Amino acid sequence: MIEVRNLSYSYGKKSILNDISFSVPEGSFVAVMGSNGCGKTTLLRCVSRLLTPQQGTVLIDGRPAESYSIRQLAQQLALVQQHPQTDFDFSAFETVLMGRNPYQHHLQNESQQDWDIVEQCMKMTNTWHLRLALPGQMSGGELQRVMIARALAQQTPVLLLDEPTSNLDIAHQFEIMELLTEINRREKKTILIVVHDLNLALRYCPEALLLHHQQLLFQGPTADALSSERIATVFGVKAQNIGGYLRFER
Amino acid sequence: MKKQHNIWIICLLLAVVVAVTMALCAGLGVVRFDRQQLLESPIFWNLRLPRIVLSVLVGALLSVCGGVYQSVFRNPLTDPYVLGISSGASLGAAIAIILGWESYLWGVGGMALATALLTILLIFKISSIGNRMHTTTLLLTGVCLTFLITAVISLLMALRQDKMESIIFWTMGSFASASWFDVWILIPVAVVGLFVVLYYRKDLNLLLAGSETAQSLGVEVEKVRRRLLFFTTLMVAFSVSTCGVIGFVGLVVPHCVRLVCGADNRRIIPYSIFIGALFMLLCDTLARTLLPPNELPVGSITSLIGAPMFIYLLYKSKRKI
Repeated sequence: MIEVRNLSYSYGKKSILNDISFSVPEGSFVAVMGSNGCGKTTLLRCVSRLLTPQQGTVLIDGRPAESYSIRQLAQQLALVQQHPQTDFDFSAFETVLMGRNPYQHHLQNESQQDWDIVEQCMKMTNTWHLRLALPGQMSGGELQRVMIARALAQQTPVLLLDEPTSNLDIAHQFEIMELLTEINRREKKTILIVVHDLNLALRYCPEALLLHHQQLLFQGPTADALSSERIATVFGVKAQNIGGYLRFER
Repeated sequence: MKKQHNIWIICLLLAVVVAVTMALCAGLGVVRFDRQQLLESPIFWNLRLPRIVLSVLVGALLSVCGGVYQSVFRNPLTDPYVLGISSGASLGAAIAIILGWESYLWGVGGMALATALLTILLIFKISSIGNRMHTTTLLLTGVCLTFLITAVISLLMALRQDKMESIIFWTMGSFASASWFDVWILIPVAVVGLFVVLYYRKDLNLLLAGSETAQSLGVEVEKVRRRLLFFTTLMVAFSVSTCGVIGFVGLVVPHCVRLVCGADNRRIIPYSIFIGALFMLLCDTLARTLLPPNELPVGSITSLIGAPMFIYLLYKSKRKI
């Protein structure tokens, strides 16, 4: 579904990603992990074409990402950002309705089908009761669920999420991850998620990409990615896996 | 919902028609007519009618452009003059007045338009890096150039104090010298510009959500932004060249519409066209009738009516939260 070949990206002279290659099969649920500044977000932005890599190719469904128009790409990939912009007052329903934009012409209004899809996505993310709420009237967790509903309304085969659980309390973190697991299971969507909490990744994501020093250190099952040795190498801390739960020591 | 939206549009359109008719038929102004005189009078056909049409057009254009700028720059305090168009036009007008071009057909207006467009070209050139236009740089360049040009205008006025009054009067904005020529010049720009803005009004919503979000939702951000800024600056430049700098309308009308109807530009843009037209017509009618035979600057009327209305709506909307 997603194939990245020899991808390199640098901001000016500072290299962020260096010769990264991997492929993510259809229907996978993959955690992207690594220490701060290792290029996780940059990788997601390169895959979604928000950034153009200096070298390498991103293939989506076997086609180079550049060969898609912006609108076609928005029908393939949906992105949930870490900090959604909420400066202007759109209701939750209007926000989710924006997800239908890739399927509408400029002068075309939403159809009944679009409205039905939005309702269905909001119900799935448990945000239907918030449909009239403005951003200032929602908690961080509710807002993030609305953003996930918008991504679902895009009806793309791939979901890219950049730290959707950051700034959320533990209950909301579980809620978001359980929701994503359910979406992955029911809708067979490919999910690539940047996660900082290693225990969260271990608990919910079957596969992982581990980045270190601008390169891909490991791709495979999350339990193997988060071995004591690899955690020590990447994060510089000691870790012990006790019955599927990581305990850390300095 | 769509039906309700269409009904609103029809109501507002009718309101504009009624207001124009009232302004015409009431024969408001220093010279009073009865109905028969009105239809035969050159004052009506050549002065009052083009003035009313021009004020409706300029009100609509400034309001729409303000709404577009507020979305493109994601800043509710942006007005159509933020990029320095008004100061660019004022410099041209000041030069034309000093050169004594007031007697030529569109001498001052033409020069104002030329310098407004030159200013905008300069600002776009400075703030573009490759194919990308950086909106913060664009705003900052506009603000800096405004200061620079204002300083030059002050210098010109200090050097030619005999022309100071004319220059200040032009910069205050007025429809007193409106002609059919101004109207015919503005109409094609208005038609094309409004079509482009209405075409992209849905994209404006997505731009409000941030450029990266907009792109991930299928908007060609750079292309849309460039086209919108190009056509709106063109509309503002042509408007300013016909009537001078009339402030507040472009800031307050889209904002008031937003406070009442919500953030959706599919409502804000069309409603702003009609409400801006109505508001400007009302202000100009008051400007020319309140203290006859003198005329008040229309810019001060727009502020006197608009500011309290705006504060009231703002207060009311904040109390709801």
